[in-house]
Amino acid sequence: MNVPMQQSDATVPTDELATESAQRPPRGLPFWANPRLGLLAVIVVLVLVFSSLRSSFLNTDLTLVPMQQDLSVFLVVGLAQLAVLSLGHMNLAVPRMAAISAFAMGWCYQHLSVPLWLGLVAGLIVGAAVGALAGWIISATGVNSFVVTLALDFALVGLVSLLYSHIGDGVAFAAHPAGMNTLRNDTFSDYCAGNVCGPPVPLIVPIALLAAVLVALLFRLSRVGREILMTGSNARAARLSGIPVSRRVVQAHALSGTLAALAGFLLAINSGAFSADIGNSFLLPSFLGPVLGGTLLSGGAVSVLGTIFGAALTEVIRTGLNLLNFSVQDLNIYIGLVLLVALSLDRVRHVLAERRGSRA
Amino acid sequence: MTFIAEQIVKVFPGVRALDRATLRLEPGTIHALLGENGAGKSTLIKVVTGVYQPDGGRLLSTAEDGSLTELSFGGPLDAQRAGIGVVHQERNLVPAFSVAENIALQAVPKRRGFVDQEAMRGLARRCLDRLDVHLDVDRPVSSLSVAQMQLVEIAKALAVDSKVLLLDEPTASLTGDEAEALYTVVGALRDQGHSVVLVTHKLEEVFAVADTMTVLRDGRSVAEAQPLAEHTRDDVVTLMVGRAHADLQLDSRSVDTTTAPALELENVSTAQGHHNISLHVRRGEILGLYGLVGAGRSELARAVLGLDAITGGTVRISGEPVRISSVGQALQRHRLGYVTENRKEEGVFLDQTIARNVSVTVWRRLARLGLVRGNDERALVEQYREQLGMRISGPTQLAGQLSGGNQQKVSLAKWLAADCDILVIDEPTVGIDVRTKAAFHELIVGLADAGIAILLISSDLPEMITLADRIAVMSEYRIVGELDNDHRYERTSHAVIRMIHAEIAS
Repeated sequence: MNVPMQQSDATVPTDELATESAQRPPRGLPFWANPRLGLLAVIVVLVLVFSSLRSSFLNTDLTLVPMQQDLSVFLVVGLAQLAVLSLGHMNLAVPRMAAISAFAMGWCYQHLSVPLWLGLVAGLIVGAAVGALAGWIISATGVNSFVVTLALDFALVGLVSLLYSHIGDGVAFAAHPAGMNTLRNDTFSDYCAGNVCGPPVPLIVPIALLAAVLVALLFRLSRVGREILMTGSNARAARLSGIPVSRRVVQAHALSGTLAALAGFLLAINSGAFSADIGNSFLLPSFLGPVLGGTLLSGGAVSVLGTIFGAALTEVIRTGLNLLNFSVQDLNIYIGLVLLVALSLDRVRHVLAERRGSRA
Repeated sequence: MTFIAEQIVKVFPGVRALDRATLRLEPGTIHALLGENGAGKSTLIKVVTGVYQPDGGRLLSTAEDGSLTELSFGGPLDAQRAGIGVVHQERNLVPAFSVAENIALQAVPKRRGFVDQEAMRGLARRCLDRLDVHLDVDRPVSSLSVAQMQLVEIAKALAVDSKVLLLDEPTASLTGDEAEALYTVVGALRDQGHSVVLVTHKLEEVFAVADTMTVLRDGRSVAEAQPLAEHTRDDVVTLMVGRAHADLQLDSRSVDTTTAPALELENVSTAQGHHNISLHVRRGEILGLYGLVGAGRSELARAVLGLDAITGGTVRISGEPVRISSVGQALQRHRLGYVTENRKEEGVFLDQTIARNVSVTVWRRLARLGLVRGNDERALVEQYREQLGMRISGPTQLAGQLSGGNQQKVSLAKWLAADCDILVIDEPTVGIDVRTKAAFHELIVGLADAGIAILLISSDLPEMITLADRIAVMSEYRIVGELDNDHRYERTSHAVIRMIHAEIAS
């Protein structure tokens, strides 16, 4: 389109009043206000503290490999929540979406003897379907996502135990499809070309990282992902900008369900069985990773890198306190406290940065 | 009590909303506060009623013996205690409460910690009597007409002993008879020694009832407490509009009438209550849709865009009957865009970057294999930054950091990026200072000159008369008339206002 207007600024009746504020650079925050850098610093400090108190903290087999395995699971769990935090929604059914998907996978391995990858695909589809259902209910009824997913989680708790007791094998499937134990036990250091072996990284880590990269690409570059973020930023404006808002809500929740299913799969690999208790520990970690990493609960902005750091921080604290012989109960208290402090510090840092920015 | 707001300054980020505005209110007068949209009227009202604290100037009251008291309002309650009451455009009554409960809301008579029902009714009756209004004080407010609610609001202000009463657009949603009744009440208040401030766009009413006036332009008081008898309508309009505004003189554009109209509505009715609406706008033409607030203009636009149901009639685009079910469809199939009325709520994404705000409508086009490249987006921003004169620091600045005028440009840019043939532009210059407004007017004319069909919705009559080729007048969800605009304020505004009044009277 060629619109002949306003050849130069000189002919424009300028908006002088807005000039002073516009010519200033945008109120950029100083680098130390970046929550990701702050998290990284805290992680480094904690690693130094824990490893000086207990040298076994840096032991590859005892600590580092299990940590990476746990981290992979909780990263994907965090991504599952992040997928709907982008909308300003919540998915309290992440645990049970993982559980019912894990049931589907276990059932496929047990009764259809499908290969590992095919069962995974089946489970992901189940997760996506349950997530899409949640999204559809939310957009069709306009009921708050908190309430819808809370109710859905409750319903699924019953359904999962019913499924295991009636058409499952009690509380877990015994089937171990080919490759499951390899995926569980091996690290890349078990694969050598001549004298050169891989790093001590468990095989499931690339799966989690691939998921993270795909989610990051989705929200950063793809049209659908960006439109989900715009919907989270301002749903009314999104509708009035031509974005199919209901469809984006369903898609975000379907993505959340898919990632929950993947997390369920990874946990089943780690623990060695597709069992009824998969997902039970997912709810708090699903919020911790994204929220510590700077993803807003109000929607419109997500940080995948922050989610990785947030999940890592939680895992470092958990492992470190564990090595210092804290009991499970103590562990929960301290993790809760550390996270409260971390979040408060984050807020303080942000306020300080804003003040400095507004003075500039 | 004489109340004076002296040399008031109020600055918002990017805009000096009030720049040494003075308002002087004598007891026993009806004082009109005049100015165009964005001139600073509502900001001044908010300063006077304690909602905003001024950045400069002072608030004074004079007692009968001539002594001055400086006032300082920490909040609305302080202003109320100082005797300043306000009746807002948006009603502040509790619908489920009775008339008496609403009137006594801020001055509840109590006995032993409980509400004294009899005293409360007595207070309400006394207040209504002073207005010479007869209403059953036990009726719930929800059962009252709009005009009656307004009277209850005034009575409510009297209940807390207000000496100064501000009425913000009191007749916007009243019929002619109701407005007359209201002004009888206002006259009675004046005779009882109150000073009444009337904020309205309706100059007829001002000349009929007010004694003095203050005119705001661009945040300044260009006329302070002057007797209205010394002024003509033309003077007042010139004071309000100023020279800068009248500079944009347009000749009537020649529009190609041989082709089918770009957008045409024939006998359209909607679920919202529109009836038999017929309009058309051709490429290169600006059709103004004028009406008072609540006349159903934006609602019509929303129905055309598929956000509300159309229950009858035909919408045609380039001669073809269409059924539009969403904004996305309007955009992709018909190149019809809608620049919304409330830019902060509906027009821009405040917490997103300018790049995303501008490109949100065109990701479908920009995407390759579903992925959007940042460079394409930034190029788009640079293009419109120049074309629209956007004052921004860069494509990654957040839209929420911009001034109102620049946000509006961002909101417009997203539809220009989408290459629209038809644009519905709803109240484009509300709350924008005069200079940016003039720039916006040039922009809109430029768009029409480039061949875009524009349906301009505005309740700012001078703006309408400056921009539109034809003006369709809407009142109570009907089109009550249409006229060719000759860009002469006096004649056209009379004609438009006559149309609305004729409709209300019938």
